[in-house]
Amino acid sequence: MMRDVAIVGTGYSAIGRALDTTVGALTLDACKAALNEAGLTPKDVDGMATYPAAGDSVPCFYVVESLGIPRLDWFEDLFGWMPAGITPVIAAAHAVARGACDVAITFRSVKRNRERPPGIGYGFRVPGDMQFRAPFGDPMTSQWLAMWARRHMHTYGTTEEQLGSIAVTFRHHATMNPDAPLRVPITLDDYFASRVVTTPFRLLDCDFPVDGAGAVVITTLERARDLKTKPVKVLAGEFATGPRPDWDQWEDLTFMASKYCAENLWRRSGLKPDDLDLAELYDGFSWLALCWLEDLGICPKGEGGPFIADGNVAIGGTIPANTHGGSLSGGRLHAISHVIECARQLRGECGDRQVKDARVGVVTAGGGLMAGALLLEGNV
Amino acid sequence: MSDRPLPLPDPETAFFWEATARRQLEILRCQTCKTWVHYPKPSCWNCSSGDLKPERVSGRGTVYSYTVTHQDVPGYTAPFAVVIVELEEQAGLRMVSNVVDVPPEDVRIGMPVEVTFQPVAEDVWLPLFKKR
Repeated sequence: MMRDVAIVGTGYSAIGRALDTTVGALTLDACKAALNEAGLTPKDVDGMATYPAAGDSVPCFYVVESLGIPRLDWFEDLFGWMPAGITPVIAAAHAVARGACDVAITFRSVKRNRERPPGIGYGFRVPGDMQFRAPFGDPMTSQWLAMWARRHMHTYGTTEEQLGSIAVTFRHHATMNPDAPLRVPITLDDYFASRVVTTPFRLLDCDFPVDGAGAVVITTLERARDLKTKPVKVLAGEFATGPRPDWDQWEDLTFMASKYCAENLWRRSGLKPDDLDLAELYDGFSWLALCWLEDLGICPKGEGGPFIADGNVAIGGTIPANTHGGSLSGGRLHAISHVIECARQLRGECGDRQVKDARVGVVTAGGGLMAGALLLEGNV
Repeated sequence: MSDRPLPLPDPETAFFWEATARRQLEILRCQTCKTWVHYPKPSCWNCSSGDLKPERVSGRGTVYSYTVTHQDVPGYTAPFAVVIVELEEQAGLRMVSNVVDVPPEDVRIGMPVEVTFQPVAEDVWLPLFKKR
């Protein structure tokens, strides 16, 4: 029997450009903050999940030992290509729902490796599929997704100004978020003045690398009623990829795995895009948020650019998005920050940037070949 | 260009690099349903047949998408263009490459191109493209 589950605790470590501390210490700070918020202690925790890949974080065992958690009845260290920030949250929600554990903590922590150049596929001889990219000067995720964005621009007429409006809108939201590392307002002129990374992406189209950690605690809706926070119910947590999940061979680079994920989300939840009050959309690059808007059905396919430029995703617009500033201005925490922001919005705790009467929100993560999404509901 | 990463061929990909070293472009083709399969895999994505053999392709295609990169990566000095070329043999049959005879800022989607080969090591020739 599946149980109703809720997010009951959210927490951050310090978030900064180059913090003089370890990723383990950041992780513990975030986990303690999330447990404290819920009024729980490490002794209550019996489930855990994280994404410790790429050597930028710590695995579950580090946290179990450091927090003195007596026992876990379910845990997962997740690796590989997947939406890194949201996958552990969805996995934990499912684990609690099926009774594998009762109180699960999930986290995503990142500490930048400043020694390593960006991209993958370096070395004298490159194995696997990267042998068909790296020798051609194509080792970086930014390049792969830039070519998706370019194809979208070619097919639908999406413009650089429209991409810029994403960066400007999310920065405006970050000015109202004391946790955001980038809080100085920007204009389209600032956007066009930022250096080109790989066309059509400028620096302000790229998420802002930070050191930091975010954690989320999940338990049953029943237990949530006795805790300190207002419960935020998990209505659905879905994943998808599609045929031929490869950065170049994907059937059509103008849509992403988010299309398939959205189909799962709406079918299994019984909700529709019109039911949403806000959207926290993965924005590792600006265009990803645009494509998620379209693929979720929030606006028609191909109209994401004008939709954003017309102000629909601004706070006060028809569907406020990335109300914390997203990854572009809130820092690259791989969407765990999107989960935290959505939960806090649905509890009505977001001050100047609060979306009025927010009841249902979507959180998405992943770009290109991989997609994950959560539907959350407040006032339950 | 001395720090350009080079491919590490394996049993699935060796045919490709052996062909380019002969200045030929070969792609795996399913012998059961005739689907072209790239990147090389031991099973056809269309029909699951394991009967795949390299066959020579025309080397003609069009630019499906591109990006002009403005920061250096190993072996490449900015700005330079990376392209995805769709080969004429099959819709969606694509490969990452560069266009050698067009300035980066002039590369466009839909540009017709054909393969050319450039040596980058004693045993490695890269399949690059030129405008046609």
